[in-house]
Amino acid sequence: MKDTYAPYRRLTGTLGLLSPWLVIFALFWLYPLAHSAYLSLTNYNPLSGTTELIGFKHYLALFIDPEFLQALKNTCIFVIGTVPVTTAIALILALGVNRKLPFRGLFRAGYFVPTLTATVVVALVFMHLYAQGGYLHTLARMIGIAQPDRGLLLTEGTALGAVMVMDIWVSVGYYMLLFLAALQQVPRELYDEAELSGASSWQKFRHITLPLIKPITLYVILINTIKSFQIFTEIFVMTQGGPVGATSTVVYFVYREGFEKFRMGYASAAAYVLFFVILLVSLIQARLLGFFRSTGDETA
Amino acid sequence: MSEREGSPVKTALVWIGLAVVLLLMILPFVWMFVVGLSPNSSWTPSLADWSPANWTLRNFADLFSALPFSAYFANSMIAAVVVTIANIVFCFLVGYAFARRSFPFKKTTFFSVLAVLMVPPYVLIIPLFILINNLGWYDTYLALIVPFAVNPLGIVLVRQYLRSLPRDVEQAAEIDGAGPLRIIFRIVMPLCRPALAVLAIQIFWLNWNSFLFPFILTDQNVRTLPVALAMFRGYQAVDWPHLFAAASLATVPLVVLFLFFQKQIISGLTAGAVKG
Repeated sequence: MKDTYAPYRRLTGTLGLLSPWLVIFALFWLYPLAHSAYLSLTNYNPLSGTTELIGFKHYLALFIDPEFLQALKNTCIFVIGTVPVTTAIALILALGVNRKLPFRGLFRAGYFVPTLTATVVVALVFMHLYAQGGYLHTLARMIGIAQPDRGLLLTEGTALGAVMVMDIWVSVGYYMLLFLAALQQVPRELYDEAELSGASSWQKFRHITLPLIKPITLYVILINTIKSFQIFTEIFVMTQGGPVGATSTVVYFVYREGFEKFRMGYASAAAYVLFFVILLVSLIQARLLGFFRSTGDETA
Repeated sequence: MSEREGSPVKTALVWIGLAVVLLLMILPFVWMFVVGLSPNSSWTPSLADWSPANWTLRNFADLFSALPFSAYFANSMIAAVVVTIANIVFCFLVGYAFARRSFPFKKTTFFSVLAVLMVPPYVLIIPLFILINNLGWYDTYLALIVPFAVNPLGIVLVRQYLRSLPRDVEQAAEIDGAGPLRIIFRIVMPLCRPALAVLAIQIFWLNWNSFLFPFILTDQNVRTLPVALAMFRGYQAVDWPHLFAAASLATVPLVVLFLFFQKQIISGLTAGAVKG
């Protein structure tokens, strides 16, 4: 009755269950990643058909390429300019809708609509609003930051800022949801006790809310940073990196080198440089995340 | 738990502030629909655009008669639906294996799932483009579907969900002599329905909106709506009313999805974040 082959059959079955992932992982993740690492060390060009190993030449060349450096600088400005603002507004909105208010369900759902929509659609709508004579252009003219005869995206001084404002507008709803989920887990009793001892709203926020939402705050900063470093679609749709490179970003640079100039080796090297930058920044932030979590536990 | 209400004046001020933000979030979309409904082919905004008396559905009709938007819409829908079904089945099977089976190199295999989550998608555009071309899949449905058939986040989601479920039912069925396939599909899969619903909505949404990979991996044949929208503005003098009619068309399925599945969408987005 006892089947000696049963464990093997079970193992084969398990392999069958895992096979979709094993195939997809090997073919569409591992192989492409290795291939582009290799390509970054060659001068591969699909048009001329050349593939010669040239070592780390591309990586060195990138750091004296003014276009790449400008793209890197724009990307850093984008990340540093949007992430803290998005985080702050998302937290403020979450604190607001966490109160007992009429129609708060409507607020929560409404704030989320920009996140729900395709990036391409949002980018097109804002192109229209930013164009000369568009509503946001008119508004910017009233504040005195726009030229009367030129849309915000066509002006060197305002193009990147305009894309950043749009990104903040799109993302706050999503991060608000994450903050809200964390705020709803803060035990009510903590606030009750604090009120009994006469704490002000600010003191309650500073000493109860803030320490308890520290982990989620750092998570929000981490994922938003990773995402923001990769901005591409908005740039492709709205500005094509212009005017004169003012909104070019690293991923846009990778796209242009790879798919317009067909310098796929060089583009792969640029892609890996950004990958390392993201990895490094994430590791630093993740360490902070772990660090803050342990101190958060002590105070709680 | 919500915070205490506070003074009525403060509450009113907070409410007004939140309402203003809500308007800021919604108005651009209202504007998009308004332009889509406007008969005006010049793009400069005017008050007349806002008058419902002038609105017309002609731009929407043109999308399907004069422009190839029914094809773009169908491409987007087919790709998103097939990818969603593939993910429901495959993420379930793989997640089940990680949650319920023991096998050699299990930790390493699961690490591959987590490691992939750290890879920024754009790193793959060049090698994936080359690979898809070498496979002869460029500008076919295969390019839109196969690489995205198993989402690593979906595997993690199913695994987490199954680990929180007791094994009693499965063990009882095994004692009753049910075969592994019967247990997996007839017993465990129905139990996973809530997790699979979250997964399905998330995957459909991601794929419906996806731009980068469809843009890189396809051309005219299987062009999807977001790519068509981006190209529409790239190649022609911008015809805003038609463009915004098309953009509205791309947005409506998501709004419907959100109205029906708000809970699943939000739990899918916040899953993992709060526990961490």
